[in-house]
Amino acid sequence: MITSQAEDVIPDSWYNIVPDLPEQLAPPRDNTEDFSSIELLNRIIPKEVLRQEFTFKKFQKIPEEVAEAYRQIGRPTPLVRARNLEKFLGYKGKIFFKYEGATVTGSHKINTAIPQAYYAAQEGVNGIVTETGAGQWGTATALASSLYGMPSKVFMVGISYRQKPLRKKIMGIYGAQVFASPSSETKFGREMLGKDPDHPGSLGIAISEAVEYALENDYRYLLGSVMNSVLTHQSIIGLETKKQLEVLGEYPDALIGCVGGGSNFGGFTYPFIPDSREIDMIASTASEVPKFGKGEFKYDLLDTAGILPSMKMYSLGADFVPPPIYAGGLRYHAAAPSLSLLMQKGKIKHDEADEPAVKDALRVFSKTQGIVAAPESGHAIASAIKYAKESSNSGKTIVLNVSGHGLLDLSIFKDD
Amino acid sequence: MGSLISPFSRMIKMRKNLILYFTLGFPDQGTLESFSRRISQDEVDYVEFGFPSGNPVYDGPKIRGTHKTAMSNYRPEDGEKLFRDLLGKGIKLYSLTYYRDIRDDGGKFLSYLKREGFSGIIVPDLLVDYSDSAFSAIGRIHEAGLDFIPFFNPSTPDRIIKEISSKTGSWIYYGLQPSTGINVPFDTGEVAERINELVPGREINFGFGIRNNDQVRELVSYGASGVAIGTALIEMLSSGDEEAFYSYLKEMRGVLDGK
Ligand SMILES: Cc1ncc(COP(=O)(O)O)c(C=O)c1O
Repeated sequence: MITSQAEDVIPDSWYNIVPDLPEQLAPPRDNTEDFSSIELLNRIIPKEVLRQEFTFKKFQKIPEEVAEAYRQIGRPTPLVRARNLEKFLGYKGKIFFKYEGATVTGSHKINTAIPQAYYAAQEGVNGIVTETGAGQWGTATALASSLYGMPSKVFMVGISYRQKPLRKKIMGIYGAQVFASPSSETKFGREMLGKDPDHPGSLGIAISEAVEYALENDYRYLLGSVMNSVLTHQSIIGLETKKQLEVLGEYPDALIGCVGGGSNFGGFTYPFIPDSREIDMIASTASEVPKFGKGEFKYDLLDTAGILPSMKMYSLGADFVPPPIYAGGLRYHAAAPSLSLLMQKGKIKHDEADEPAVKDALRVFSKTQGIVAAPESGHAIASAIKYAKESSNSGKTIVLNVSGHGLLDLSIFKDD
Repeated sequence: MGSLISPFSRMIKMRKNLILYFTLGFPDQGTLESFSRRISQDEVDYVEFGFPSGNPVYDGPKIRGTHKTAMSNYRPEDGEKLFRDLLGKGIKLYSLTYYRDIRDDGGKFLSYLKREGFSGIIVPDLLVDYSDSAFSAIGRIHEAGLDFIPFFNPSTPDRIIKEISSKTGSWIYYGLQPSTGINVPFDTGEVAERINELVPGREINFGFGIRNNDQVRELVSYGASGVAIGTALIEMLSSGDEEAFYSYLKEMRGVLDGK
């Protein structure tokens, strides 16, 4: 029997797209001739996460402790029919949204922070370190580390650190120590500060600092997005959505989500791919960071310092310094290799929304559904509204992923 | 063209393969010749040669290092001497070559391999960087009279494994790691089991990152047809330790024979 009980909605296993891709994923590459940054991953990320990164297995069992933690932090998250939005738009079809903002940390990021911290704790490491842009990922990492009794350090992109003091606060409450990046904690950070004492920072730089810190202190670095293992953990979003739709007797014509590194989007859409049914899958990026529109599909660095291996992906270049849009989580220069491949093969489409359009969409969604969504998620909402307004899409079933809430990002509306 | 394999091929071929990898020109011709003299069918089945490449992208740092030395050392007549020596002892030869190094040569390299007595070619970048030309490349390899040895790894999608395997009857090379000589955690046994399920009855040899005897035993117990050793030989080559090489071959043959 199909039910919407938590234990029936939360899956037993995560789904890994790699064996189901239309083509072989290009392997990571080392950046220098005489050194293996791939092998170095052994010292940077938890072993089990690394195994999942390169596994051929389609399904990865969710450990019982992790499943329990998922229930504790608010999973399954709701799938809601957005009737008020439908009415507002005069839409003849159905619009559903999956709401990842309902987790305790306010976004999907906790879905992968928990298993990564769990595996790290099992290994018995000194602590956890990561980077954060907007602060969502750092928040999730801070909580997950505390849940497993480990200290955590977060390198927060300088400009966000200054724009979002509340984010820093909440990470502190969860137990993390937060540094504005570039910081004087690492060699790479000091080098950057030497060039420009008021450096605004970037995700690439913050990742470089976090990785350096992990190596120097025998900490483990948690990956926030982009990597296969992260997208595998995030498949919980799509697997739950599928189940919840099934209970309602629905199947999507369109799946829409926003893309920073691609983890909420991949996690949301990939579980539908093996069905081989006709679905418009639309990845919404910031017009200001047009990785699919203007980026190139090529091997590029994950981090500015080049400590991590290179991956083949759509990228604007690792030294790309994005404009200071509010959707900090969408400012990363590249997108996950698996998502990039699916994009290149035409299996996934993309759309772009700029900040003014996103603000409008956030307002509409707040007034109709009562949810102040995260600026990142605002891109998904803007793209969904645009999709619904096209006459050829009349009567379809649209499902969008609202990756987080925006209650700590209200400054986006400060000039209104 | 690739021949159909007999359903009994696995039963007929009970002996597990020991495959050795050398980069031609590394560390020098003298050392390679002395090592080659120690190779016989008693222990070894196939030898794979890497022709020096300016950019061996899917090799790990150690094998990348051998290519660097090899680029300046290698002379074709040296290689040809090794080929004759090994062929004379009944060892089959395979070339591990990047497609990017041969795709524009009008088939010259493939005819060269055929003339020199090679049985086949492994092209590790074909499915990754040149997937659109995979079928035509396989066709060209077969036309040259060589076996195309499919190269797969844990990231190869199931559909591609089936599709590419069906284009050839030859054995399959399965790389366990993202590049040679790297060691990231993986599921040794399960990986072997799964590839055997996808292409039942095929000869599947494993390589890329094989380090220790336990791994080899585990692979064999899950149905591997053999293993390829490359990075592990580099130190012996560098120090010219022929004796260590010979005892390594004996030891590995023992492990493969279940001793
Ligand atoms: C709420 C929210 N949505 C989306 C993203 C973008 O990341 P990804 O594409 O990996 O889901 C972020 C990243 O910080 C985020 O915080």
